[in-house]
Amino acid sequence: MRMDDERHEPKLRLVAGGAASARREEDALVAAFLVGDDEAFGELVRRNETLVLAIVRRYARTPDDARDLSQRTFLRAFEAARRSLRHGPRAAVPFRRWLVRVAVNLGKNHLRDTLRVLRAPLEVLDERAAGDAGPTAADALLLRERERRMRAEVLRLPRRQREVLTLRVDAELPFAEIADALGITENAAKVSFHHATRALRAALAEEDPS
Amino acid sequence: MNPACQDLEVLLSLRAAGALDPAEAARVEAHLHGCAACRAEAAASEAALRLATLPPPSDAERSAVATLAKDALAELRRGEARAASWKRTTAAFVAAAAVAAFVLAPALLRKPVHPAATVPATALAQAQDGWEAPDLDTLWSDADVLDLSNASASASAYGYGYGYASSTYASSSYDATDALAVDSDQ
Repeated sequence: MRMDDERHEPKLRLVAGGAASARREEDALVAAFLVGDDEAFGELVRRNETLVLAIVRRYARTPDDARDLSQRTFLRAFEAARRSLRHGPRAAVPFRRWLVRVAVNLGKNHLRDTLRVLRAPLEVLDERAAGDAGPTAADALLLRERERRMRAEVLRLPRRQREVLTLRVDAELPFAEIADALGITENAAKVSFHHATRALRAALAEEDPS
Repeated sequence: MNPACQDLEVLLSLRAAGALDPAEAARVEAHLHGCAACRAEAAASEAALRLATLPPPSDAERSAVATLAKDALAELRRGEARAASWKRTTAAFVAAAAVAAFVLAPALLRKPVHPAATVPATALAQAQDGWEAPDLDTLWSDADVLDLSNASASASAYGYGYGYASSTYASSSYDATDALAVDSDQ
């Protein structure tokens, strides 16, 4: 099988740099996987698991949730890639774009379902430790409370703003890639990000007028 | 806020996310140097984004995804096996339905004698006894058959223009279409 070459020479895939060559490598890995190369699947997951985790953990209440969401993201993205390839190579969408888009949407659905089950406000989702704590325990508690409220505000943002904000802040994607994944222009993504930032600032000012 | 400041509003938010290109950054810094109001704006945006940022993944999160590649592949294969088994079940169901229809059609189509309709009603009940077993809702949603049309519609709405991607691997509590849909709740 032609694609077997990929499996025996993984170094070839890793040497080249740059977004364009990374995309070609991933295209080749997807193609290899679709003809039965399990090692190509593993490689694609390893290359992208950090990205996917970064996106879904915003919506996950526990590490197990994050794992389940990550796993389902990969499976959906592979299915999407498989189906899109049926329409010929010209219809091909970069695998990463599927991943980003699927991860964001699965995350949102998961959040919706979690809230439905819990019947509790968004703030209960966030049990993460505070960032850099202040000099006293009281400072740390205050900081943690503000972080908790601000993260809840993120999840309350209008959909587009939330997506753009989290893809930038959590996944640290360039705006061009965010725009591609969401099917909007780069400029629209930047403006959405700005609006999201304004909304968070407004919420912060409301809670904490000091 | 003067017009020059207004022009920089979006850039100030992007700056707080570290997303300016060098030319934009130079322009913004030059302005910030002489504008206390915009410096305050910039600081407020940075503070809000810092609070909204998640801490780095914990050890528990990292270890939860440590075997992701292996687990996902295993799940994928299980999904394929389920899909194959569902196809066989459907084929058997369709075949059984065809046989039942062939056998029962004469009884169902026969003109009723008096009192009207008792014979067809009985025949129908009998037909249903042997025929109704599979829960159609479950079958459809397991296979995401109905979702395909929705998923295609939302794909088109996004301009991709080709059908994608409900999933045979979906756990049933999640709506496969939603994963890729334009949106349903906002």
